[in-house]
Amino acid sequence: MALNILVVDDSETVRSIILKTLTLSGLELNDPLQASNGKEALALLRDNWVDLVLTDINMPDMGGVELIEHMKKDEVLKTIPVVVVSTEGSATRIEELKEKGVRAYIRKPFTPEKIREVLDEVLGTGHD
Amino acid sequence: MTEDRKNILTRVFTDILEQMAFMFGDKASPDDFRETTEPMLRAQMTYRGNLCGSLSLAVPEAMCPELAANLLGTEPEDAGERHIYIDALKELLNVTCGNVLTAIAGEEPVFDLTVPEVSELSDAMRETMLNDETTVYLLVDEYPAALRLTVEDSA
Repeated sequence: MALNILVVDDSETVRSIILKTLTLSGLELNDPLQASNGKEALALLRDNWVDLVLTDINMPDMGGVELIEHMKKDEVLKTIPVVVVSTEGSATRIEELKEKGVRAYIRKPFTPEKIREVLDEVLGTGHD
Repeated sequence: MTEDRKNILTRVFTDILEQMAFMFGDKASPDDFRETTEPMLRAQMTYRGNLCGSLSLAVPEAMCPELAANLLGTEPEDAGERHIYIDALKELLNVTCGNVLTAIAGEEPVFDLTVPEVSELSDAMRETMLNDETTVYLLVDEYPAALRLTVEDSA
């Protein structure tokens, strides 16, 4: 079944790069939703069901951490898995994000194979 | 900056270029950068943590549509809008900065990174890069490029 995904990044170009990589990974996607910050993401999530949120951390207006905190306070949104896609490699930062409920962390640069491996694990879509 | 840091910067940048954009960087001389007459762009960002400083990347503007096209999997003419290739240059710098900091400082420290900014490379900026012995020079698919990492201990 095709997945409904929301990609959150303040750069349209970076969102396009992520979507291209998702396509190359072989995941079957419905028309993906896109937001340029946490506020736009929350507005989209109130009106649309998604299977997964892929988000950056550093964004204007509302960053990824604040987005995750809002989602975790919402009875419906807190069930949606969130995966962070970022350039930072600090183990301390990654651990902080996981404590906030982030399901996985994909560090840039990433390959289609890497993104597929992580998302299969998060979504339970991997082969047995 | 020690030679080690210059080597790290070169290795990380060329690895990322290859992985993200299928472009290849070879070591070059300051003269390759000094003598180019093409309009150049400079991307810069700063970082703050247990080390503070900045990372700057200067490349010919003509290289950027090719970079963007490779990142996006399109043709250069489809990535020719300035905002698209400027964003691609910012992303290349952003990914390079995060990975360079991990390579230099390890995986424990947390760094706050600013959003990259891009401007035309002024003569003064070019001279600053050329006068800094820590600047790294590369040919990226024949385009001259310069990378400058400044590192200072956190106050």
